[in-house]
Amino acid sequence: MSLPFIDWIWHVRGRLALPPGQSSDDAFNRLDPLFGQEGTVHRRTGGTLSFTKKNQAAQDRMSVFDGGDLRIETGAAGSALHYRLTSRALLFCFLAPFLFLCIAQLTIAVNKLDKPKLEPAKASPVLQMNPIDKALGAPAPDPEPTDDAARLLKAEEKKPSPTAAYVFAGIFAALYVIGRILEDRLVKALFRKSLLGSA
Amino acid sequence: MDGVLVGKRVIGAQSPVTIGWDNIPKVQGGPVKQFIFTWFQPTMLFVLVAFWYYAPNSIAKASIALWVGFCFRMLLLCLEWVNPRHESWRLTWKEAATDLFYVGLAYTLLHVAEHYLGSDAMADAIGHYFHQDKFAWFTSLPLLVQALLIVVIFDIGQYWMHRGMHSWYPLWLPHSVHHYITQLNMNKGAVGNPVELFLIGLGIGGFFDFLPRAFLIAGAFSLATGTYQHINVRFNSPRWWRFLFNTTEHHSLHHSQDFEATRSNYASSLIVIDRIFGTCVDGEAELLGMEGGRRMSIREQMLHPFTEGWKAFRGLAPADVSASTGLRKVS
Repeated sequence: MSLPFIDWIWHVRGRLALPPGQSSDDAFNRLDPLFGQEGTVHRRTGGTLSFTKKNQAAQDRMSVFDGGDLRIETGAAGSALHYRLTSRALLFCFLAPFLFLCIAQLTIAVNKLDKPKLEPAKASPVLQMNPIDKALGAPAPDPEPTDDAARLLKAEEKKPSPTAAYVFAGIFAALYVIGRILEDRLVKALFRKSLLGSA
Repeated sequence: MDGVLVGKRVIGAQSPVTIGWDNIPKVQGGPVKQFIFTWFQPTMLFVLVAFWYYAPNSIAKASIALWVGFCFRMLLLCLEWVNPRHESWRLTWKEAATDLFYVGLAYTLLHVAEHYLGSDAMADAIGHYFHQDKFAWFTSLPLLVQALLIVVIFDIGQYWMHRGMHSWYPLWLPHSVHHYITQLNMNKGAVGNPVELFLIGLGIGGFFDFLPRAFLIAGAFSLATGTYQHINVRFNSPRWWRFLFNTTEHHSLHHSQDFEATRSNYASSLIVIDRIFGTCVDGEAELLGMEGGRRMSIREQMLHPFTEGWKAFRGLAPADVSASTGLRKVS
């Protein structure tokens, strides 16, 4: 299925000019070690290299990508490597903020259903500080609230807050932007290093 | 591989491990670096406990504790960049994103579940039968003693829950997912199947609700000792520290690809509990995980306990911890 307007979310595309005189076979030979990782299957047909990854190791330098195509095209300006890589991790990270926003709404809904019931106020004993703590200067504990409004407020404060879910929605939005830019640059640098490195 | 005889067990026959403190590499660098990475852990423990001991009542709250925990973890994340234990454990963007997903679940969905179904709910249900005045003997103890007792009681519970997970197949199923991690870094403690994270979170926390300051100090104690289980920093921990507290070394052995090594070092903060029950092994490992270090996707991590449980129920797979790890017992 082609989704040209939105597939940039989970696809990384790029182009790298090959050094003068480097053939497509030579270029792919230099790139080959990158696809020799555990869980990676790759195939070369003509001027195209296709690969897929499954359960790729964290230490795999291309672990963020699950598949892709690399092809060599020759034009008037010389040969160039064109690549199109797919990343489920980027897609997942793009969608994660929406998941956490849903969790925030769920937390609010559950909290609304939970009406705190106040037990009749008991005369709670005043917490006695140990003489050692008094001597060391630890603050004395506040007395337990006895009026209903303060007790109700305390019970409300104990309920789970949706704030954490909003924070994580923000974290994942930022993480997506960082990842989309960073992984694009890292893979380009990796390909460049492989193509220019000594054979 | 021959492995090393530790007590009656052979450790490291299936995957390389380092046994014995004298064989573990030390922090490299000048005297300042050596000093920092030797005394960082005890200093932070002292600072965090002192902070909660003296914090005014207006800031001695759970919400502030969350921020203190967050800042401490950020500091540890910086240390991971400065002085990593293993280059192969370096945090990548993908690992960070994956780990943070689980951290997010822990702070949101699991927190709601714990509140309405877990420790908090249990404490609410049973709490009516307790009278605070019956605990006067406890609340009149020095704050640090109260906090230490909370840590010890909580850790003993965690120890047996964790050991049970490694010994009884129904509990192993949800826990096994956590053992597929192939590196240790800051947030790896949160990685696992949500069922397991809910179970391991079941404790006695809610019951100490009436002791906020002692509870906060206990939390700081656990933060400053237990967090090092999953972290990629090399420390020269003092001898007394590694005798009492769980370290990355201990926990890396627990996560190694060697079956016998995984059956050691179960405690959360206090490794001395493992010493008492005879399950402590001092050492470390770099190669972690199961099935040769196969990395599990999030989807598989969510489904694995159920699919494997169904296979065992249908008799299609052995309902046995050692067989399901891909790390069979060496006879």
